[in-house]
Amino acid sequence: MNMANITKKVSWSSRGDDSARGEATPLLNGTEEVRYTRQPSGGLFHISRLSTVDLEEEITSEEDSVRTRPNMIPHNEKLLSLKYESLDYDNIENQLFLEEERRMSHMGFRCLEISRWVICGLIGFLTGLIACFIDIVVEKLAGIKYIVVKQNIEKFTEVGGLSISLILWAVLNSSLVMVGAIIVAFFEPIAAGSGIPQIKCYLNGVKIPRVVRLKTLMVKVFGVICSVAGGLAVGKEGPMIHSGAVVAAGVSQGRSTSLKKDFKIFEYFRRDTEKRDFVSAGAAAGVSAAFGAPVGGVLFSLEEGASFWNQMLTWRIFFASMISTFTLNFFLSIYNNKTGDLSNPGLINFGRFDSDSVAYNLYEIPLFIIMGAIGGLLGALFNFLNYWLTIFRIRYVHRPCLQVIEAMLVAAVTATVSFTMIYFSNDCQPLGQDQTKDDYPLQLFCADGEYNSMATAFFNTPERSVRSLFHNPPGSYNPLTLGLFTLTYFFLACWTYGLTVSAGVFIPSLLIGAAWGRLFGILLSYFTSGSSQIWADPGKYALIGAAAQLGGIVRMTLSLTVIMVEATGNVTFGLPIMLVLMTAKIVGDYFAEGLYDIHIKLQSVPFLHYEAPATSHWLTAREVMSSPVTCFNKVEKVGTIVNTLSNTSTNHNGFPVVIQIPDSDEPGMVCGLILRSQLIVLLKHKVFVERARTRLSQRKLQLKDFRDAYPRFPPIQSIHVSQDERECMMDLSEFMNPTPYTVPQETSLPRVFKLFRALGLRHLLVVDSENRVVGLVTRKDLARYHMGKHGLEELQLAQT
Amino acid sequence: MCLRMGLFLTDAFVLTFFVLGIVQISATKRDFSVAGSEVSGHGALMPMSGARFLPESSPFKAHKIAYDFSLSLSSSFPEDLEVSDYCLALLGIFGERYVTYVKCLVSHARPVKICEKCYANYNNLREIYNNISSDSMGPGNMSCHDSLVRSDRLMLVYMLYSSMEEIWSTASCTHCFTPDEKSLSNNTLHILTALNTSLSCFETHQGNHTELCKECKALYRSLSELYSTMEYNNILCIDLEDAMNVTRRLWSKTYGCSFPREETVPVIAVSGFMLFLPVIFYLSSFLHSEQKKRKLIHPKRAKSSHSLMNIQDKFS
Repeated sequence: MNMANITKKVSWSSRGDDSARGEATPLLNGTEEVRYTRQPSGGLFHISRLSTVDLEEEITSEEDSVRTRPNMIPHNEKLLSLKYESLDYDNIENQLFLEEERRMSHMGFRCLEISRWVICGLIGFLTGLIACFIDIVVEKLAGIKYIVVKQNIEKFTEVGGLSISLILWAVLNSSLVMVGAIIVAFFEPIAAGSGIPQIKCYLNGVKIPRVVRLKTLMVKVFGVICSVAGGLAVGKEGPMIHSGAVVAAGVSQGRSTSLKKDFKIFEYFRRDTEKRDFVSAGAAAGVSAAFGAPVGGVLFSLEEGASFWNQMLTWRIFFASMISTFTLNFFLSIYNNKTGDLSNPGLINFGRFDSDSVAYNLYEIPLFIIMGAIGGLLGALFNFLNYWLTIFRIRYVHRPCLQVIEAMLVAAVTATVSFTMIYFSNDCQPLGQDQTKDDYPLQLFCADGEYNSMATAFFNTPERSVRSLFHNPPGSYNPLTLGLFTLTYFFLACWTYGLTVSAGVFIPSLLIGAAWGRLFGILLSYFTSGSSQIWADPGKYALIGAAAQLGGIVRMTLSLTVIMVEATGNVTFGLPIMLVLMTAKIVGDYFAEGLYDIHIKLQSVPFLHYEAPATSHWLTAREVMSSPVTCFNKVEKVGTIVNTLSNTSTNHNGFPVVIQIPDSDEPGMVCGLILRSQLIVLLKHKVFVERARTRLSQRKLQLKDFRDAYPRFPPIQSIHVSQDERECMMDLSEFMNPTPYTVPQETSLPRVFKLFRALGLRHLLVVDSENRVVGLVTRKDLARYHMGKHGLEELQLAQT
Repeated sequence: MCLRMGLFLTDAFVLTFFVLGIVQISATKRDFSVAGSEVSGHGALMPMSGARFLPESSPFKAHKIAYDFSLSLSSSFPEDLEVSDYCLALLGIFGERYVTYVKCLVSHARPVKICEKCYANYNNLREIYNNISSDSMGPGNMSCHDSLVRSDRLMLVYMLYSSMEEIWSTASCTHCFTPDEKSLSNNTLHILTALNTSLSCFETHQGNHTELCKECKALYRSLSELYSTMEYNNILCIDLEDAMNVTRRLWSKTYGCSFPREETVPVIAVSGFMLFLPVIFYLSSFLHSEQKKRKLIHPKRAKSSHSLMNIQDKFS
C-alpha cells in the first residue's frame, strides 16, 4: 500500500477514553469495520488532518475492539436519530403534474392566490383566538388559586399554622401541574416544552412526527394552561408559536385527519411545499399574538426558516401576523369590557413605557453593553446547566410516570421555595395606588398597610411579576430581595425547562433578567448617590436586563430585538436593545450554544444550519453519500418493489429509477426518482401494466389521489398484494420525477450542502461521468458533519 | 370679607403678596390685549399666542418705555379695552377666596384634614370661578371669561384655579361627601367614629402595650374591615387614608401589635421535607431506572477501496 503520499489522514478518538486518544486510524478510507467502531462512552468521530501514519497495526487492533464492544451507547448529543425524515419540498414534475397544470385555467391560479390570502387571514384569526382563550383561562385559574392561598395565609398568619398554607399551595400547584404533565406525557409527548425547537426543525425541512396535529394543539393549549396556572417558572408565549404553526398546518389542508373530516377545500395545498409556507405564517402569527409584535413575528419566521423565502410570502405572513395580534386585541377588549379598545396587544403586556422614564443618554451605552455581557454569561450558565439536566432526563427519566412525578415535584418545590422566601423576607413596602386590584398582595408579618415585597415577585403569575419589575416606582424593592429572587428564580427556571409539560422559556428569562437588571439599576444609583437624575429609574435597567438575559439564553438576534421594541412600544429603545442582544449573543456563544439549538441537538434531529461546517471543502460527495443505492427499473416487477419497501432494515424513502444495461453488474443510468409514498399509492390503486391492458375502463390515476393520501401514507404492511399480483409489472415512468437533481462525485461537501439547503431537497443523486447512480445524499448524510471542539466531527446514526 | 382677610394678613403674608401679584399681572395683561386687538382682534381667539403678534408700532414702544420707567402702570388705555369694573370686582373676590382656601389647606396639611375642613372654602372658590368663567355677559356686554381668563398667554386665573382643583381631585375629597358636596357622607362619619374609638382605646391603654394589643384588637379589627370594604369600593378621601395610616402605624410599629413570626420551625421542617423529595427522586431514578441506550445504525457507504483508490488517483 502506497500510503506515503496521502496527506489527508483521519483519526478518531474519544473524549471519555484517554487511552484511545492519539490513536490514529483511517476513517473514511479504512475498512468497513474500522469505520463503525464505537466507544461505549459516547464516542464521536474526530476527523482532522494529521500527518501520515502507519495504518496496518492499528487496523488489527480496531478489528478486535469492534467485536468486543457493544453497539449500544447511552444517549448523547452526538447522534442523529433515524426517526426523523425530510419533508418533500422539491416539486415532483412528473407527467401527472404537467397534465394538471395544463388543465388549470388562468382563473384557477387566481383563485389559488386568493385562497392563500384567505388561509393566512384564517390562521391569524384562529391563532389570536387561541391566544385569547389561553390568556383568559390562565388568568381565571391562577386568580382562583392565588385567592384561595391568600385567604388561607391570612387566616393562618393570625392563628398560627402557616406550614399548612405552604402545603396547600404546594398541593394546588402540583395537582394543576399533574394534569398538565399527564396529558403531555401520556397523550402527546411532542407537545412538551416550548415547541420552538420543533417548529424550527420543521421550517428547516425536518419532518418531526406528529408535530402539527390537532391532538398536539389540544394537548399544548391545555398543557400550557395547567403549567402556568400551576405556578411553574414558565411562560405561555413559546407554546403560542407552536400552536400557531399547528393551526396553520391544519387550516391550510382544509381537513382534519384526526377528526376524519374533509371539507374538500384547499386541496391544492396538500403537499409539503405549500404547507411549509403556511406553517411559517402560523409561527409568525403565534409570535405576534404572544408579544403583540407583528413585525417581530414576521422576522422570527424569517430568522428561523429563512432558506425558503420570497416577497409575496413575506407580505402574506405579515398579514397573518397583523390579523392575529388584532384578533387577540379585539377579544381581550371584549373580555375587559372595553369593546373596541384595541390597546391590549399580545399575551405579555410590558405595559407602557413613557418616554420620560426610559430616557437614556450616550454615556449609558457602555453600561448597557456591560449588562449585555452579564446576560450572555448568565445565559450560557443557564444553558450549560440545562444541557446536563436534559441529558440526565433523557437517560434516566424517560418513563411517562416518572416524568409526571418529576413535574409535580418541581411544582411543589417551586411553591415551597417561593413560600420560604416570602416567609423569611423582611422587606416590607407600602403598596402603590394602582396595584391593589390586579395583584394578590400578601401582608404576613408586615405592618398594617404594608406588604411583603418578595410576595409581589413570587406570589404572582410570572408575567405580572415582570411588569411590576419594569414599572414599579423606585424603592419598591430592596436589593437583597432582588438578589435572592434572581438567584432562586434562575435555578427554578433552569430546572423547569425540559420538563414534560408544555411551557415556554421566554417569560422566566425576562423575569430573571428584569430582576437583576433592576438590581443593577438600584446599585448604580447607590454608588452615584443621586448625583444624576438619569440613574433614578431602575425600570429602564430592568428592561435592558430582561433583554440581555433572554438574548443570552435563546440567542435570537433580529427578531428578538424587534419583538422587544414592539412589546415595549418604544422605538427609541431599539438601539440599546440591539446592542445588548448583540453583546449577549457574542459572549454567550463563546461558552455555550443557544438553548433551542442544544435541545435540537439532544433530540438528535438532523438539522441543517445555514452553511456547511468550515474546513469541510476537502470532503467530496463520494465520501458523504450513501452507497450502494437501491434502484428500480423503469418498468419494475411488483414483487421486487413490495420486497424492497417491506424491508425494515433499509427504510429508504427515495429510489432512483434507472435504465439497466442488460447483462451487466454496473449501476444503471439515472432517468428519474420515485418516492416511497408514491409507490405506496400506486400499489394501493394497483396501477399495474397487466391491469391496464385487461381493464381499459380503469380510471387514470391523478395527482388528487396522491394528495388524498397525504400526509399520512399507509405503511406497506397494510397494503395487500396477492401472489399473482406480485408477478405483475409496474410502469413508473409516468409518476417518477423525471429530472432529479444530480451532482458529480467530486462535488465538495459545501457545494452539496448549499444545493441541498437552498432547494430544500430530500434526495440528491450522485452520478459518475456516464450518468450512472453511484450514491445518494440525504439530509442525515450532510447533517452528520459538524464543527466540534477538536475540528470537524461526525455524528452517528442511531435508533431512538 | 375684608375683615377676614385682614385677620390672616399677618400670617399669610406670602399668599397675599401672591394675590397682589395677580392684580399686578392682570394690569399688564391689559397692555397685551391692547396690542392683540390692534392687530386683528385675534386676541380672544388665540389667547396663547396673542402676545407674540405684537407689532413693532411706535405707540406700543412708547408704552413699553413708559412701563419700564414707571412700574405703576397708569391705565391710559381706551375705554372699551379696559377690563370692566364688574370683572375686576369678581377678580377681587376670587383673590380673597383663593387666599382663604390656600390658607386652610396649609393649616391642615399635617395631619391631613383638608377635605373635612376646607370643603366650604373650596365650594366658595369654585362658585366664584364658575361666575368668572361662565359665558354670560356681565354689565358692559363683556364676558369676564374673555377678559380675565383667556386674553393672554399665561392665563393666570385659570392656572391658579386649575392647580387648586387638581389638589382637590388628587386628594379625592369628593369621595367623602354626599353627592351635593354639602356635608360629609354617612360612610365617612361612620369610619371617623370608628377611628376615634380605636384611638381613644389606644389612649387608655397607653402604658401596657401587650394589654393594648389585646384590649383594642376587636375595635381595631372592625375598623380595619370597614376600611378595607371602603377601600375596595373606592370611597375614601385623603383625610381617612391618612388617619388610617397613622392608626396602622401606631398599631403595628409603635405598639408592635402585628403578627409575630413564630412558626419558623414547622415551616423549615415542611420545606426541608419538600426540598428533600426531588433529591430522593433523582437518586432513585438514577439508581433504579434503566439507562436509555441507543442502538447505533451503520449506514451504507461507498466501498472503502473505492474511495481510497480515488484519493490515490487524485494525489498521484
